[in-house]
Amino acid sequence: MARRVKKAPSVCTDLPLDTADVCAKLHLLRQLLGSCFGPTGRLKQVHNNIGGHVVTTSTSSVLLPAISSSQPFVNMIKTSILNHVSRFSDCGLFAAVFCLALIERAKRSALRESVAVKVNRHLLGLCTRYLQREDCGCKVKLDFCSIHNLITLARSVISSKPACVLTESETLHLSKLAVQAFLLTVPCDNPGTVSLGKTVTVPVEGHSVLHSAVFPGLLLGITDVFCLSKVDNLNSAPLIMVLFSASLAGDLCELGDGTIEVHPGADTDSQILDQLLELGKQAVKDEVKLFVCQKVIHPVLQQYLKSHGVVVIERLGISLMDPLIELTGAQPVATLHTTIPAKAYGKVRGLSIRQFGSNTMLHLHPYAESAICTMILCHRNETMLSELKVVCQKTEHVLRLTLREPFALLGGGCTETHLAAYIRHESMNEVTEIASALGCSQTEYLIGVEGFCCSLESVVTALEHNNGNSLVDLTHAHHWTLSADVMKEQMEDSFAFCGCGLVQTSSSKKWTYINTKYTEFAPAPLSRDTILQPCVLDSFTAKLNAFQVAVETANLALDVRYIIQDVN
Amino acid sequence: MGMMPVERLHLKHVLQTVCALEAVVLRSFGPEGGQVLFIRDTTEAMLSCSGTRILTALRLEHPVARMVVECVWKHSTATGDGSKTFILLLASLLRMIHTAACKEPNVSCTYNSREAAETAAARRLADKLLAFALEELDDLITMGVIPYGHSHTSNHSLQRLLVSFFQTRLGYTHCDFISNLICELLTYWRCKNNPPSLSLQFINDNFPALHTPVSGFPVTCSRLVEGQVIHRDFSTPCSHTDCEPVKAVVFTGCLQLLERVIAILQSLGISVLLSAAKQSAAVLALARQANICVVECISEDELSLFIQLSGATPVSDCLMIEPEHVATLTFCRPILLGAHRYENIVTPCSLVICGPGEGQTDQYACAFQDAIRMVLTTLEPVGMTATTASKEILQLHKTTSSTPPPLQQCLLESGYVIPAGGTFEFLLHHAMLQHGCESSVCDNTNMDIPAVTQLLAKALLSIPQKIYSHSPRHFLETQTRIFKENKQSMHCCTKADLSQVLILDFGLESVSCKYQLLLAVLQCVTSLLRVDTVLCTHSASQTKSHRLPDIS
Repeated sequence: MARRVKKAPSVCTDLPLDTADVCAKLHLLRQLLGSCFGPTGRLKQVHNNIGGHVVTTSTSSVLLPAISSSQPFVNMIKTSILNHVSRFSDCGLFAAVFCLALIERAKRSALRESVAVKVNRHLLGLCTRYLQREDCGCKVKLDFCSIHNLITLARSVISSKPACVLTESETLHLSKLAVQAFLLTVPCDNPGTVSLGKTVTVPVEGHSVLHSAVFPGLLLGITDVFCLSKVDNLNSAPLIMVLFSASLAGDLCELGDGTIEVHPGADTDSQILDQLLELGKQAVKDEVKLFVCQKVIHPVLQQYLKSHGVVVIERLGISLMDPLIELTGAQPVATLHTTIPAKAYGKVRGLSIRQFGSNTMLHLHPYAESAICTMILCHRNETMLSELKVVCQKTEHVLRLTLREPFALLGGGCTETHLAAYIRHESMNEVTEIASALGCSQTEYLIGVEGFCCSLESVVTALEHNNGNSLVDLTHAHHWTLSADVMKEQMEDSFAFCGCGLVQTSSSKKWTYINTKYTEFAPAPLSRDTILQPCVLDSFTAKLNAFQVAVETANLALDVRYIIQDVN
Repeated sequence: MGMMPVERLHLKHVLQTVCALEAVVLRSFGPEGGQVLFIRDTTEAMLSCSGTRILTALRLEHPVARMVVECVWKHSTATGDGSKTFILLLASLLRMIHTAACKEPNVSCTYNSREAAETAAARRLADKLLAFALEELDDLITMGVIPYGHSHTSNHSLQRLLVSFFQTRLGYTHCDFISNLICELLTYWRCKNNPPSLSLQFINDNFPALHTPVSGFPVTCSRLVEGQVIHRDFSTPCSHTDCEPVKAVVFTGCLQLLERVIAILQSLGISVLLSAAKQSAAVLALARQANICVVECISEDELSLFIQLSGATPVSDCLMIEPEHVATLTFCRPILLGAHRYENIVTPCSLVICGPGEGQTDQYACAFQDAIRMVLTTLEPVGMTATTASKEILQLHKTTSSTPPPLQQCLLESGYVIPAGGTFEFLLHHAMLQHGCESSVCDNTNMDIPAVTQLLAKALLSIPQKIYSHSPRHFLETQTRIFKENKQSMHCCTKADLSQVLILDFGLESVSCKYQLLLAVLQCVTSLLRVDTVLCTHSASQTKSHRLPDIS
């Protein structure tokens, strides 16, 4: 019988952005996330109340899921940013800080919400159109003939995660590895639709970061080295291998559904073992040299195979199945009842043993061209290593995004200051027309523009955590940092380059502090013949999307006038 | 009787409840209105600014509030529009009635308390309001509002009507895109010979079968697809190419005497078999051998739409398949929409509605159907009978004297639209005040008419007040301009073009929807005020201890 339960009335919040509680929570969230932002960002320790292990991080994809709030408003923003991160891996904190700054500014400017939303949307369009343009002043075209810019891009991602605790040379080493791995996973000779390969990451604890390395092919962890005494002989010809996805442990439950009729007196165990040995015999007959199983292999079968000089690997795990299939061309065998079909066999060019500390790894060299590679990641302790693993995956993703749009944006806050100057300059044109098209007064429009630009600049100031000052030059509108402890005489040295490294200081340059009013100007494009190379680059695709997500989420938040929470 | 807790219902309580609802609805009303964030019991979040959805999501307990929500729901299912305005108008009317009832002189002698007297006075007033509206409202609208509207025949005005509907319903971002899509759909289905309301009614009736919701995509991926989408996959593999005409039959029951049936089907050249029931494995196997595609478990809505469109009769007796049972289709192919594969067979076109999440997609689909209902309501005449219409035409002829629309046209093409943003309310307000003056001058038999019209006129004005709440200057300016235009057109005998008069462009709205809204609100007021007592009955499952404190 259906039970009728009385539904409780919903919990309502009127004008959530006007309540002190919500505002305080959003402000706290902004401070929390802002303090993690950039290469000098402060780390956060996440631990739960039941004594689970502590995570030290400053990455948005780790940090945001750990933040849970009873306030649906906070959760809405969080979900939106996490969606962006899951698709683009980078610029999560940028999106979060920018979004929260936009909300805060709009609230403080006392602009009507509907006006703020319209102005924001208009300016977002202005920015995205500018960023997509050929002559955009803060965009660099990536040249795949030279890996310099790719390494810079990778290094910018890695160095923006201070929880990895890397030295300058370690960062560079990892950036090079990331680019190497990325290039290995791009197949060369496939015309038509290209599907990218996979980098398998193997973390190794307790070693120097500089021992990290990238290998083409797959490295599988193995326990006993004795069986591999003949491995040296296995390096000459292409080796035949077989891959089982079904368990070879000989358990009845693995046979599938249905009833089993057992004749009285029949010994099922020995019959199943016979079946397994049949498979082993066939493998040996077909000259299989490598026998891999996703699950467990019966010890008798293992012994049999080893005695015939076959290398046996069991408990491979589901995650390595796909890369192994791609590497060898084998088709996983899912049943024990038939003989192994000939087309199920795969090939390996050779096997070798590699040693990383206490880990012994079997290296499977690809037979044909394959886009599978393995990255051995070393770090001194577990916390740093887990962060490093996340960072390397993100870097890979960011590098892959460049295949879709081969551009990068200037990093170090220069894109933001440049955009702010561009918007201020552009929005001075046709104020009357735009204001009437948006259905607001000119004053309202200009307040909206100022709020948007200030929010953008507040993201730049969030990069600085050591009480330094953020400045902007009045020719190119790039970002410059003046550290707090610099003497007047030393200013020249510390002020040599802008945040992205493309603009050099000169006596004719003028600067102003960020968040001070300056007369609007058209930011000058960089001279094309400069020999300077950017030293910080951000992913174009990720940042452009982060930009859109931030503005759209802020608009959504500003548009919410009422919250109805069903508590049933 | 004494066992039941009794709650006397006074005007004050009703007013309080409705005002609480008004406060919620107001947040998403008008050009300054925003969205409401819902957190479902599954912690899924959803944004909406649909009045009905907001009101139902509140899960109210008070019987009066539930009654109001019920009224709103009924009204918006019938006309597709006006749920937020409903609440605002209701609240405004109740406030006016409350003020008027409090001033009523004949209190306290016949009634036990002041409150009871007030409630009684309010009840009388509400009855009079309803009587007045049923009697006079259509005339007033024909006189005072319709001359300023234009009949919506052009695609452009339909487009603007839809844009303003979607603005209030889904917000500003995608309203242009969605209204274009609906216009496209309506053009696709429009028949040359039939009046547009017929094809609209058809779309409205078959909407569930005509649209496919797809979650996980942005709204801008919504589109029209050629043919009817049957929301089932093929049970046997589809081996047809698109080029040949495909012959299909519809079965209602399960197949028996399989071999013979299949032989008959083959002899008729049938390659597609549609069935409402699930067929046995044997049928599928035989059909596969005979190269016949089977689609089973098709919902009744979709099958009846298919039968309507193809003109074929469904087969009831398997062995009696005649040519009239066979439908000839231009194509029949699988279509991949989001995560599901459906079968797609030809008829004019159907609609694919995309949204980022399930809730949001559902909301879009509801808005689409409500838009169609709204356009349908727009085409309905404003409560006119032939006699009143002719009377009005004559009057119009006298007053405005320019070329009046011929009687025939006025009856059939009554889809009048008027600039949105309070124009209707301003004009009707004006017309009512004038009517009040006239009737008080010419006949002295009924003294209540001026009071009633004044009250209603005043209540109406609360809508534009809310629309222009962010700038009272705009409110006054618009009001003055419309009145000026009103006077001018009275004197100069020219049809006024109000779209140039308004300061801000809000698009268009339907006169007929507004008329029905006004009537529905007045009916709701009357029924609300007729209730005097709430009896709280308890179901048997509740314990005694629960009940005891209620009595004391």
